[in-house]
Amino acid sequence: MNTSEEWAEVAFNNRDPVYLQVVRYFKERIATGHSSAGQVIPSRRELGALMKINPNTVQKAYKEMEDQQLIVTEGNLPSRITHDTHVLSQIRAELLGSAVRDFLQTVQKIDIPIEELLLMVERQYKEMGAKHD
Amino acid sequence: MIEVKEIRKRYRRRDVLNGVSFTAAKGEITCLIGTNGAGKSTILKAIMGLTPVSGGTIHIDGKTLIPELYEKISFVPDHLRMPASMKLSEALRFMADFYDSWNEKRADELMKFFRLEHSFKIGSLSKGTAAKFSLVLGLGQDSDYLLLDEPFSGIDLFSREAITEVFTSDLIEHRGVLLTTHEIGDMEHLIDKAVLLKDGVVSQSFQCEEMRSEEGKSVIDVMREVYRA
Repeated sequence: MNTSEEWAEVAFNNRDPVYLQVVRYFKERIATGHSSAGQVIPSRRELGALMKINPNTVQKAYKEMEDQQLIVTEGNLPSRITHDTHVLSQIRAELLGSAVRDFLQTVQKIDIPIEELLLMVERQYKEMGAKHD
Repeated sequence: MIEVKEIRKRYRRRDVLNGVSFTAAKGEITCLIGTNGAGKSTILKAIMGLTPVSGGTIHIDGKTLIPELYEKISFVPDHLRMPASMKLSEALRFMADFYDSWNEKRADELMKFFRLEHSFKIGSLSKGTAAKFSLVLGLGQDSDYLLLDEPFSGIDLFSREAITEVFTSDLIEHRGVLLTTHEIGDMEHLIDKAVLLKDGVVSQSFQCEEMRSEEGKSVIDVMREVYRA
């Protein structure tokens, strides 16, 4: 399940705090179904080695995810993705929301009526769907 | 904690170190950054008591360097300093004889990890292989602190990756690491703290994650500001 290739492919940027990038990566995995509720996640040490980042950074990321109730750690057991469906659906909404905000910020610079924009989005979305089939 | 306070060093009628102060904590990787000739190696040697300083103090866990501390602190110099005629096995025995803190089991694991043969001769090692063996000698000790002088310099990509792996492994856990480099490259995400040397003093010293979250700057961004100015 937790094979090394599965966790290794992350290109971190140097300017955002690495621990927040790790948190975001986990959220993306949950939103895309790569990690599911209750799944055991690698230990801090394992993840540091897989992602080639400082284990202290992973520690900070896990702490942040515990605070956000994204993962749960009971006693000495390995940490798991939460079962809380409310939290999980929130993640999806949060990621989609920020993607749409980023998109709109870029598009805003170009003066385009919303109807035209929506049509373009719809067309491209269908084209992408066709390619994937 | 390693505490370096106001150390000064004059070398060949030049003030190399002009009052350098910084700390390196246990459980963290601290990176001493500076251009060539900035005095990085001199600082490591001064901490190890291998070169005299003309002023300032150095404390390790609150103590000045006493012989017992050599069991607690290991130094990986930029060149392998073992006699060229020795086999790796002989060099390992040399370390075992010399240090009470030598951990033979760990050294064996490291030899396997880096795919080093005990029968190799020190004198015929390539630069990358010598660097790996230096690391075996340093990490083979159960020391609390590890000083590394340019561990990545002039080493091929795959050797670098193998060495990087060590930095994220339990071999480093709970130890304090102080390493020097003149280029940060792919280590940006490995280090906890950066200490930037310029003109014989510490120009900037910061926790890398704090710098990213508070100012949105990478270590390289700060280096550019310091060294291009």
